[in-house]
Amino acid sequence: MLRVLALASVVLLGIAPQASQAITVYTSWERHALVGSDVRLSCSFFSWRFVSEDVSFTWRYRPDGSRDSVSIAHYAGGEPYTDNKGAFKDRVEFVGNPKRRDGSILIKNLDFSDNGTFTCDAKNPPDIVGRPSSVRLLVFETLPIQAGVITGAIIGVVLGLLVLIVVIYYLMRFLVARRVFSLSVSRNVEGPQLCILP
Amino acid sequence: MSASLMPRACRRKVIMLVLIALSILHIAAIILLLAATIDNAWWVTSTTSTDVWGRWVLTNNKWNMTDLPNNYPTDYLQAVQATTVLACIFSIIGLFVFIAQLFTLPKGRRFTISGVFQALACLFIMIAASIYTDRFHTNEKSIGNYGHSFILAWIAFGLTFISSIVYFVLRKK
Repeated sequence: MLRVLALASVVLLGIAPQASQAITVYTSWERHALVGSDVRLSCSFFSWRFVSEDVSFTWRYRPDGSRDSVSIAHYAGGEPYTDNKGAFKDRVEFVGNPKRRDGSILIKNLDFSDNGTFTCDAKNPPDIVGRPSSVRLLVFETLPIQAGVITGAIIGVVLGLLVLIVVIYYLMRFLVARRVFSLSVSRNVEGPQLCILP
Repeated sequence: MSASLMPRACRRKVIMLVLIALSILHIAAIILLLAATIDNAWWVTSTTSTDVWGRWVLTNNKWNMTDLPNNYPTDYLQAVQATTVLACIFSIIGLFVFIAQLFTLPKGRRFTISGVFQALACLFIMIAASIYTDRFHTNEKSIGNYGHSFILAWIAFGLTFISSIVYFVLRKK
C-alpha cells in the first residue's frame, strides 16, 4: 500500500509541474533616455528549471503608432544575433548573460525614431509557455523632471527637518536631566500676570 | 476694566470664549488651506478650471480632468504643490499641539509652539501663493481670472498670520 502511494506521488510530482508551471519574463515598464545616448534594456526570466543549453531570447520592436513588430535581436544556441538590415543595424548589442537568466540588450546612439515598444520573449526549453514582456522607450531632447519628484523632495526634507528638530530637542532635554550636559541658560522669570481684555 | 475686578465665574467664561474663538479661527484656517490645496481652481476661464494638480476642461457640457500643459514651469509648479501641502500639514499639527498645550502648559506661559506651527503654515502658503502669482498665467490676464482656490489661499495666509500672532501674545491663565 505504501509503495503504491509513494509511486503515485512521484508520478504526480513529475507530471503536474510540467503542466502548470510557465516561464515568466520580466522587463522594465518604461525607460526614458536622451537623444544620442545609449540605453540598456533589461530582460530576465523566472523558470522552475535550470537554464538549458537551448535557452533563447527574442527582442522585437514596434514603433509608436504602428501595429507590426520587427525582430531586432535574437539569442539562440549559445550565439547572439542582432539586426544587420533594419533601423537598428550596428546599433544593438546583446549584453546579457543567458547563463544567469539575463537577456539584456544595449541600444546605442538613440534617435527620436526609436520611440516605441520593445518586447522580450524568453524561452527555456522545455519551459516554453509564457507571455513576453514589453518595455516602452521614450526618447527626449532634455530629460523632463518626473512628476512629483521636486514636490516629494521638498515635503520630505521639511518634514524630516521637523522630526530632526523634535528629536534633538527631546534628546537634549534627556541629556540635561541626566547631567550629561549642563545648560548655562537660565529660564525666564514670569512677568506680571496681565489679562488680554482692556 | 482689569481682570482682577471681574468676578471669577465671569473671568472663566471669558477665557472659555477666547479659547473657543481661537480654535474656530484655527479650524477655519485649516479648512481654507485644505480647500486651496485640494480643489483645482487657482485659475478659471470660461471652459477650464485649472491648477495645481490637474485641469478641468468643459467639453460638450461635461467636465473632464486632464493633465496640466507641458509649457508650465515644472519646478515652480511642484514647489507650489509642495508648499501648499506643507502649509496644510503644519496647520493641522499646530491644532493638535494647541489642544495639547491647553492641558500641559504651565500657567502664565505663552502658546509659542502652536504659534510657531501656524507661522510656518503662514510662511508656506505665502510662498505658494507668491510663486503662483508671479510665475503662472502672467500673460493670460484677459482670458481668465483667478479662481476660488487662489483667493482662499491668500485669505488663509491672513488667518494663519493673525492666528500665529495671537498664539505668540496670549498667555495661559
